Amino acid sequence: MCLSVPLPRYPLYQLGNPQLRIFRTNFFMTLVKPGKEQPPDTVQFRIPMEMTKCDVKNYLEKIYSVPVGAVRTRIQYFKTDRAMLTSYLAIRFPKALSSLPGLQAQQQTFQFPEIFPQKDTALEPGSVEEMQDQFMQDEQQRQKADPRRGGVTEWFGL
Amino acid sequence: MLGMMYCSKMAATSAGRALSLCRQFQKSLSISTALPLQHTNVLTSCKAQLSTFRPKFCLLHINNVGTSLAQQCRALHTSQWRRGLEEFFDETPNWGEPTVKSGAPWTAKQLRTKSSEDLHKLWYVLLKEKNMLLTVEQEAKRQRVQMPSPERLKKIERSMKRLDTIVQERENALRLLQTGQERARPGTWRKDFLGRTFWYRFKEYPIPWYLNRRYKRKRFFTPIFVDSFIRLRIESHLHRKILKKKADLENKRKLQEQFSKLSART
Repeated sequence: MCLSVPLPRYPLYQLGNPQLRIFRTNFFMTLVKPGKEQPPDTVQFRIPMEMTKCDVKNYLEKIYSVPVGAVRTRIQYFKTDRAMLTSYLAIRFPKALSSLPGLQAQQQTFQFPEIFPQKDTALEPGSVEEMQDQFMQDEQQRQKADPRRGGVTEWFGL
Repeated sequence: MLGMMYCSKMAATSAGRALSLCRQFQKSLSISTALPLQHTNVLTSCKAQLSTFRPKFCLLHINNVGTSLAQQCRALHTSQWRRGLEEFFDETPNWGEPTVKSGAPWTAKQLRTKSSEDLHKLWYVLLKEKNMLLTVEQEAKRQRVQMPSPERLKKIERSMKRLDTIVQERENALRLLQTGQERARPGTWRKDFLGRTFWYRFKEYPIPWYLNRRYKRKRFFTPIFVDSFIRLRIESHLHRKILKKKADLENKRKLQEQFSKLSART
């Protein structure tokens, strides 16, 4: 979760100070499908490490107007991608994950939708894609071994 | 709304939708100017207009009509945006498409023309859009499928960066005018223990510096025995400067040798 703008240094809080207000948040939340089956009113997000439970609750209530009950956070470790590997020591790094069994307040359920449905694309008869597809299929057919050999590789042949 | 700008050559179906959104935006903008500017209100009006379409003519409407509607629309309610968690996903027709059309990112020049209120709303529109794109990206990774139009993420990031620059510019200008301070965060020039001069930026502490044990361990002075090393550093810096100057002259001389016969001189 890259930050487009570096996180600000929050002013020090001491008893009696006014409530901290943030006018342009820099937190981004990613909705993820949970690995294990969760009850229907639970939603799972990936949040930056700097976010607290209060932050998550306010974020969803104010920006998305989603009624939130309880927020639970945990830290999950991720492996660095090759591109991000700056030092060979930083192999695992933590990212926070929060699950919100929260929509009980309004009896709402949330089902993670299928964003990438299987679409049967019927290729046009005269198009370039169709010809390419046909060509690739012919090539693959040619590359296949002789079926009469019964699955035995060429290595055993003459 | 103030989402990403779309080129005007859009499909006919989206033009009608854009018009209706334009009208919604008109109404809600007038309402937001009528009602007192509270944080929540700004956000509710922002929510009412989330869309990734921003036709150019929408802006013209605002410029001409905004002020007159403000007086009439005092008691109107904007319809509550009830999509909630669906805003984390793209519009339903776009699911499963190999590419999704999107316009150019906001440029700094365009953003400078907008009022602070508009920029505030735009920030949240871009934020929601980015959340949506991140969700789609993660889902695509999970399903091992290519994400449609990943360049949208970069566009959003650039727009947000530029927005932040402009807000900073405005804050800088205000601060300079009101207080004469050039920097938001106070700082000072200090010497570290190696004799190097650097800009130290102040940090807030609840206790004074002479009670702060960790701060006292940082030495912001140079001990005397480091002086010889400072001299060496100065020498090497001067040496490198001289070498660079020589190298530049040598380069110039070589180019002169090669290209002296040409008449045009830059």
